[in-house]
Amino acid sequence: MVVLKKLDQDTKAEIKELISEVIEIPVDKFTDTCKFVEDLGVDSMMALEIVAAIEKKYKIRFQDEEIPKIQELSNIFEFMEQAIKKHG
Amino acid sequence: MKLKDKIAVVTGGTRGIGKAIVQTLARQGACVLFTYLNSDAKAQELEASLTKENLKAKGFKVDVKDFEQVNAFKEQILDKYRTVNILVNNAGIIRDKALAMMSPEEWAEVIDTNLTGVFNVTKCFAVTFMKQRQGNIINISSLSGIIGISRQTNYSASKGGMIAFSKALAKEVATFNVRVNVVAPGFITTDMTSNLKEDYLKHVIPQIPLARFGTSEEVASVVLFLATDKSDYITGQVIRVDGGLGMS
Repeated sequence: MVVLKKLDQDTKAEIKELISEVIEIPVDKFTDTCKFVEDLGVDSMMALEIVAAIEKKYKIRFQDEEIPKIQELSNIFEFMEQAIKKHG
Repeated sequence: MKLKDKIAVVTGGTRGIGKAIVQTLARQGACVLFTYLNSDAKAQELEASLTKENLKAKGFKVDVKDFEQVNAFKEQILDKYRTVNILVNNAGIIRDKALAMMSPEEWAEVIDTNLTGVFNVTKCFAVTFMKQRQGNIINISSLSGIIGISRQTNYSASKGGMIAFSKALAKEVATFNVRVNVVAPGFITTDMTSNLKEDYLKHVIPQIPLARFGTSEEVASVVLFLATDKSDYITGQVIRVDGGLGMS
């Protein structure tokens, strides 16, 4: 369990690695703006798996309303940044 | 203590079948968080009586028709209890009328409470269940939703819809280790059936093979079975508790 203070490049790379494991697509095969469902053929429910993995590792909580809005990696970074700001 | 340390949410828990479900789950060790709409006094009474038995139960005033209220309730529960393991969608109303006499309001109120209410509550808790890879949803439908009962087009539609909803959801969330099942009571002795006229009873009871109305406890004991790990291989099922009335 890691306590996140900010989202630097190393942490972002770590998160991308974590997601790569969940969606079973190598890190060099997707960018921050590739759409999980449309571009990568990932099941839409996978967003939940991704959220569960991140919440567990970084002790952060996504709002339920944010989950349907997760279309690409950049959305995840966005929501995580908001969560960090909110909880200081 | 089949449900020790489990957190259960029960909607419509102050009267009738809901109350029996709250009592039954609490007596098996669950911490039961129940909702109610109007019966403030009955909610306090139920809380007090279970606390006296050294059991854990708490009532929350929530209108299941209102998504925002339900969402706020969910946030409140998760903040305090961190997790939920069991959800029983029991809150339901009747507005019986022949279709020709039924107002759009009488139709909407029943659909909004009995069906949309189930959507509201289940949606709010489903994500929690899926994230933690454990969840158990038990929806209280009715024989009316399976065979249809005269003067209950609204109620039958809402309870039938609840069955289809439950089956679809069961398929969707099975991979997340979340089970969804339905209990369909027949005629049960509660406030909901207390106003049935003598004539109607004389007509209905002979059609019930077990020749009597059921009790709320008899329905609650099936809910308990579905709530425990004894039913771990059961999902997407509808179990009738109807004295044999609806058997095909």
